[in-house]
Amino acid sequence: MAATTSKMLTILVLAVLTVFTSADVCLGPVVKSETYTTSETTVSTETVFISQFTLTCKNGLQNINLFADVAGRMIPAVRTTVTNQYQITITDEYKALRSGNYESRFYDEEGFSALKKARRNNEDVSTITPLFTINISHGGVWQGTYIQSEFVAACVAILVWWLAFSTKSKLTP
Amino acid sequence: MKLIVAAVILTLASISAGQEDPEARLLVSKNVLNNYLVEGKDLTVEYKIFNVGGGAALDVHLKDSSFPTADFEVVHGNLEVMWERISPGANMTHAAILRPTKFGYFNFTSAEVVYYGKEDKKEQKFGYSSAPGEGGIVNRKDFDRRFSPHVLDWLVFAVMTLPSLGIPCLLWYSSSRRFTSHVKKQN
Repeated sequence: MAATTSKMLTILVLAVLTVFTSADVCLGPVVKSETYTTSETTVSTETVFISQFTLTCKNGLQNINLFADVAGRMIPAVRTTVTNQYQITITDEYKALRSGNYESRFYDEEGFSALKKARRNNEDVSTITPLFTINISHGGVWQGTYIQSEFVAACVAILVWWLAFSTKSKLTP
Repeated sequence: MKLIVAAVILTLASISAGQEDPEARLLVSKNVLNNYLVEGKDLTVEYKIFNVGGGAALDVHLKDSSFPTADFEVVHGNLEVMWERISPGANMTHAAILRPTKFGYFNFTSAEVVYYGKEDKKEQKFGYSSAPGEGGIVNRKDFDRRFSPHVLDWLVFAVMTLPSLGIPCLLWYSSSRRFTSHVKKQN
């Protein structure tokens, strides 16, 4: 009987402890995100990635500090005037941010400090699970057409003329 | 384009200097990254914040109210954001994508920044970013006339030239086919 009571007590204490420890942790994060990447050179001299998202936690946590790890860069997410809305921005040269998928992993303060510590000590980073991830898909930067349309039109005109001329020269002996 | 270069960086800190100073000092630059400013096309505005002071800047609010809603619409990003803390020596980048709804000259002025320079959060500091200056927003039609690949225009041209080339070609083809079949029959 005493054993069961002590067991019950331990479970109760553990349950209470989880409540206390999870107070600062976002449980069951639901993320709505939209991303933007630079698509052409006229628009920007650098490649810009913008990821804007709204985070909802099941335990009702609001305006927590978030940090992102994208393409080897560790940056804090900025908060906006809207509650639970965040934004991250990455800018770099066209060459540094080539087309492809960039997975941005988000951490809270605790996870981020663990990540920094692991990086510092050259430990395995994959053991630290992020709070959530957002995929940034960059389609590359369009730098204009390689061949001018005038050139193509001139080539077609020359081809037509050549066909006509060669046919005509075959007719006359 | 001249406006891309933001030449002025405003120091937001007080005059007193010293390496032991634990106070945060923020330098904010605002740049327009576009090669061309075009009506109805994306306009990239980049903000960079550097903390050159000895202490961390707390509750940093960046607000840019220099884009009137009548002339610009915000497509991505925010013009009012907040950092909880910017450590000494750190730099932060923020960007927003806008779309000019009108063409003509527009004066790109500075954004505002408000922050606490010390941990005690007693004295709030206020400052401005650099201003990119005046820039000309090009009419969309003029831009397209100059830079679009004109593929459709060339296709229209090809269709227009088709009768003058195609009709003689068809006439020749039909007569030449008749001639070759006649030659074959003779053989």
